[in-house]
Amino acid sequence: MTHEQIRQMIRGANPVKDPRLLEPVATSDLTIEFEERMHMQTDDRPSVDSGKTRGRGPIVAIAAAVAVLAGGVIFYLATRDDTPVATPAPNATELNQLAEYEPIDAGAYYTDADGDGPSTARGTFVIVEGWSSLIAGAMKDSTEGASYVSLLIGEVDELASPGCHNTEWVAAGPSAEAVAGQLATATGLTISDAVTPVTAFGQEGYHLMAEVPEEGHVAPEGFPGCEGDGEFDGWTTANWGNRYYQFPGQRLEFWVLDVEGAGGPILVEATIGPESVEADEEELQAAIDTLVITP
Amino acid sequence: MSWPADHRSRFDLIWRSHRLEVLAYCVRRVSAVDAEDACAETFLVAWRRIDAVPAPPDTRLWLYGTARRVLANQWRSVSRRSRLDEKLRSIGMSPVPDHAVLVVQRAEDREVLEAVRALAAKDREIVLLDAWEELSREEIASTMGMTRAAVDQRIHRAYKRLARMLEPRLMTAVSPPVAEEGGT
Repeated sequence: MTHEQIRQMIRGANPVKDPRLLEPVATSDLTIEFEERMHMQTDDRPSVDSGKTRGRGPIVAIAAAVAVLAGGVIFYLATRDDTPVATPAPNATELNQLAEYEPIDAGAYYTDADGDGPSTARGTFVIVEGWSSLIAGAMKDSTEGASYVSLLIGEVDELASPGCHNTEWVAAGPSAEAVAGQLATATGLTISDAVTPVTAFGQEGYHLMAEVPEEGHVAPEGFPGCEGDGEFDGWTTANWGNRYYQFPGQRLEFWVLDVEGAGGPILVEATIGPESVEADEEELQAAIDTLVITP
Repeated sequence: MSWPADHRSRFDLIWRSHRLEVLAYCVRRVSAVDAEDACAETFLVAWRRIDAVPAPPDTRLWLYGTARRVLANQWRSVSRRSRLDEKLRSIGMSPVPDHAVLVVQRAEDREVLEAVRALAAKDREIVLLDAWEELSREEIASTMGMTRAAVDQRIHRAYKRLARMLEPRLMTAVSPPVAEEGGT
């Protein structure tokens, strides 16, 4: 089922396919229902021209249009939405230069994707109060451990194949599509959303979602059942350490992007811990909403 | 079309040009009673903040964004609801028994709308602005106060999630009875 097919199905379920159909009911005799309401407003009311209601005054005109509403379809969608909305800022701070796991102020930050200086692609995003720095991103942990959320951006160099048991580090890519395929098939992660092409953060690439499996995990230690360092390994960049996963049930969202001028595909990873707090997830999503990848 | 300097003329232009679009926007999202409140409030906000309303082609997007915030903070009057319900009956429309109830014509539509309703609030709104208001990605970004990239990312993920939800439901809904097979 393609996205366009889904879109057409939603369009087919549109309760008001043509707003002009509302014109007759917008001028019906239910106007009086709202005159009382409008009279409670100030006397400084606007003048409007609405056809049939001309001459009955601005209150009538407004009220007539909103008085009677057509349609046999009622779809309740009104929900309070207090998600913080951040906006990009030009004076971003480089996260890689800050001490890891230290609290950082609200504001705009960027990661130098492969850590090799000014030639690399950058991922810039805005976070609110309460986050901490990581080498290639930032994290928020309202309680401890399994609740954390994070956003990482890096030029992917190697991938663990698989992440647990007889792990080998294999070269990533070279294309974004190849890396996405490796993440889906070689890492041992449980794929919850298959690889699909995507345009994200101003770049072209591929998207998939995954979860860290139970295999090898022993509470509370982590993954001692995995050989080597006792970690469920993920991926690396050339200039900083490997990304590993701490908890089964961690939800991972990946965007693998081909960015002009970068040495390899840029990997964006959003992580949601299995015990994460909803407010933190909203802050993570707000940060993702501001993320821009630039060559 | 020029953008009048005079406030009343400007509001009149906004009203004539966009009242049905805003009304449709509200009707698509909430019950009739809530929609009428929201639409009226949206235009009252436009009047009070007439200098903040952008000239075309952004006027409609500003009104959608205002209506979205109004709907998110809506207060409903039970007494007025009952009066309007009565009048809706008189013109052959069913009043809403409950705001959480979907009243739809076709089973497929119901499945689709239930899936859309299961999306996160912002993702849902973006999908509806795309599919129902037929806004471009740039227009959605403007209405939602997001970057174009954020809209791309959210809309991609939302449609993927909808596909995952709808495929099994619709397969079940349209599959003919399967004849029992004998062993071989």
